[in-house]
Amino acid sequence: MALTLKQQFSSPGGILKFLIKHNTIFIFLLLVIFSAFISDVFFTSVNLSNLLKQVSGIGIISIGMLIVILTGGIDLSVGSMVALLAVTFAILINIVVLPVAIVLTILIGFGLGSVAGYLVAYQKMAPFIATLALMTVARGLGFIYSKGSPITFKTPGGEFMSNFANNSTLGVPNIAIVFFIIVIIAMVMLKYNVFGRLIIAIGSNEEASRLSGIKVSKYKFLVYAISGSLAAIAAIIVASRTNLGSPNMGMAWELDAIAAVVIGGASLNGGKGSAINTLMGVLILGLIGNILNLLNVPSYPQQVVKGGIIIFAVLLQRFEKK
Amino acid sequence: MQNSESEYRLEMSGISKSFGVVSVLENVNLKIKHGEIHALLGENGAGKSTLMKILSGVHQKDTGKVLLNGEEINPKNTHDGQELGINVVYQELSLVNDLSVAENIYLHKLGANKFWMNWKKITHDAQELINSLGFDIDASAIVRDLSIVQKQVVEIAKAISEDTKILVLDEPTTVFDPTDTQKLFDNLFKLKERGISIIYISHHLEEIFKIADTVTVLKDGVDTGSLPVSETDTDGVIRLMIGRELKDLYPIRDVVVGNTPIFEVKNLTAKDTLVYDVSFSVKPGEVLGVAGLGGSGRTETAKLIFGAHKKKSGSIFLNGEEIKTKSPVDAVGHEIGLVSENRKEEGVFLPLSIRKNISVTNFDPISTKLGFIKTDKEHSNVLGLMKKLNIKAPDSEVDVKNLSGGNQQKVALAKWLSIDSKVIIIDEPTRGVDVGAKVEIYSLINEVAKKGVAVIVISSDMPEIMGIADRILVMHEGTIYGELPKEKFSEENILRYSIGEPLK
Repeated sequence: MALTLKQQFSSPGGILKFLIKHNTIFIFLLLVIFSAFISDVFFTSVNLSNLLKQVSGIGIISIGMLIVILTGGIDLSVGSMVALLAVTFAILINIVVLPVAIVLTILIGFGLGSVAGYLVAYQKMAPFIATLALMTVARGLGFIYSKGSPITFKTPGGEFMSNFANNSTLGVPNIAIVFFIIVIIAMVMLKYNVFGRLIIAIGSNEEASRLSGIKVSKYKFLVYAISGSLAAIAAIIVASRTNLGSPNMGMAWELDAIAAVVIGGASLNGGKGSAINTLMGVLILGLIGNILNLLNVPSYPQQVVKGGIIIFAVLLQRFEKK
Repeated sequence: MQNSESEYRLEMSGISKSFGVVSVLENVNLKIKHGEIHALLGENGAGKSTLMKILSGVHQKDTGKVLLNGEEINPKNTHDGQELGINVVYQELSLVNDLSVAENIYLHKLGANKFWMNWKKITHDAQELINSLGFDIDASAIVRDLSIVQKQVVEIAKAISEDTKILVLDEPTTVFDPTDTQKLFDNLFKLKERGISIIYISHHLEEIFKIADTVTVLKDGVDTGSLPVSETDTDGVIRLMIGRELKDLYPIRDVVVGNTPIFEVKNLTAKDTLVYDVSFSVKPGEVLGVAGLGGSGRTETAKLIFGAHKKKSGSIFLNGEEIKTKSPVDAVGHEIGLVSENRKEEGVFLPLSIRKNISVTNFDPISTKLGFIKTDKEHSNVLGLMKKLNIKAPDSEVDVKNLSGGNQQKVALAKWLSIDSKVIIIDEPTRGVDVGAKVEIYSLINEVAKKGVAVIVISSDMPEIMGIADRILVMHEGTIYGELPKEKFSEENILRYSIGEPLK
């Protein structure tokens, strides 16, 4: 920690150590360089802004996933929540004014997350089970409320959101800006706020946390509620991009989010992980998809490559520990 | 191969073992004849269990030799040990709760050579075995539904088979009433007649004199010799168990102890543990020692006070006012701290830095209203405590997992010093800690007490507790059996109260 970059490089094997320690960023940069060489269109602003737009939704729920995983839990419900909340937002935007629709959607997200939080923190249910059940419930509710078909935005509010979600500010897509702001808030909270410190403590040793007088249940409850709220924000963004809310949205997103968090070096046992590395994980996953698309690789082989990268990243982290 | 030449069934000679820097056994010798019941005695932490674990293959010895029937053996794991005919009944029950009695008894023999199980035969054999022991348990019952006594019987039955040569029993009778104990003894005599050698570990001295032929006493990882039971008595054994040199480890207690108790516990009874009707008080500046054997309820009492275990009845007073500690959150709110005996699992956050470990109990002085941590303040606070406790690390960012046991323990203590606790309960303050750090921790305890903090120290290390406490409570079977004022401190007195006997 106290070592400067220069010192790190000059120590024996220093460069290698540095690369291993920051392997997520290293993989990311390698991929960027590789992509630039392999495709002419990669570094065009159209492609880059497309890439950012594609990853923003999953990116936002990945941050929620990160804080849940930091406590040693997991949230499988976020993908389905995105679908249910996108449908909810589409319904709301057609009946109430835009700010109310946004606030209500986020509140409902918080409420749904709270259900998971309550089951895990106060009923001591295994996070995997509780959120697996909610995943099914949320997906089902999404289909019920939408009657199985997409609900389009029909109001000026909807039009505004659609413009917002598809436009850029200073060359950066607006929805990517929302994502980055959330990453920065998460970074600050995890590093400089008591909340972040305590959820990391709980994840690294729950019993020691309890015996240190930390309100373990309260924080475990909160992380799921926050994850639900972030799923709501992601839902608003993806719905606005396409001008509709569909119960088929966010299919298997929870798995991509977990992958992004894990590629970012977080431990599924809890206590280890950072927002900036999760951002890298999200971008790495997005980049792989993007470059394979540019190379016209069909989607099935893409999945194989994605899985390979996850294994590679986690193996590299094992190396880091030694 | 049976070697009829060898006089001894088992010869362990020059056994040494250390875990990291902590030496647990030093040059220990143990010789056991055919068909002998050999008692192994010693205080908690004297190394009895480790010695038995080396014998059975759980641990590997660093140096020394183990001869079974005159042939050297080196069991690499418990399976090897069992193949050699060495069976151990551990203190902690090792049964599989969801399997039947019969399945448990033959668990270690399952899958050895047959692909298909003959459940009928297994259940039948198990039933016969249990009946032959004189107990009444259904072999097809699920272990979860058994009482603790029945479980202990199953555990013993599991260790007995036709090829058993050495049977080790570690405190087998703690849960037994006198009739069950007598049944067990009858069985042990039967086994003895079959030529099986039995190693019997117990804190109950009267049992030793009833059944054992020979007794060996371990003290601080060294054996103080063996002698036939017929040549000694309770006092002789107690003398062997104590009587070590007292090193100059302990600080001079020059604290003026206050008159009115700062902390009081009245008739505390636990909901889920054995602790019942515990009452005591601590005066400001006083170091109160709590002694007792493992399993006597000391740790459970500490956790009960701290709110980590549920209470059934009783009350707690701080500065004369009743307080409720329903959870550790409440306890910490009343400035009560607990340093757990189980440092790695309950005391510290191994993957986190020293700074994050120490700050975790109290963010109020180092954070803003919105919870943002003032890093400067945090650093100076942590560095101050590191200096005060002499925590040896390059800086506050070192992960606690990389520290020595002694320094980890200091971090666990620093956590409670950072909130100016009024009451600090320290469970086994120096377990797995080297001598240098021990001295520092003792003087730290002394200093904390000087400031008027009520300090409660739980310890199995008798010289330690006599060296630092002003008064000692001795627990036995879940409650306080006796209290020793300073002038009555002696290992013999503590030991007598620990095993539920009056002082002489």
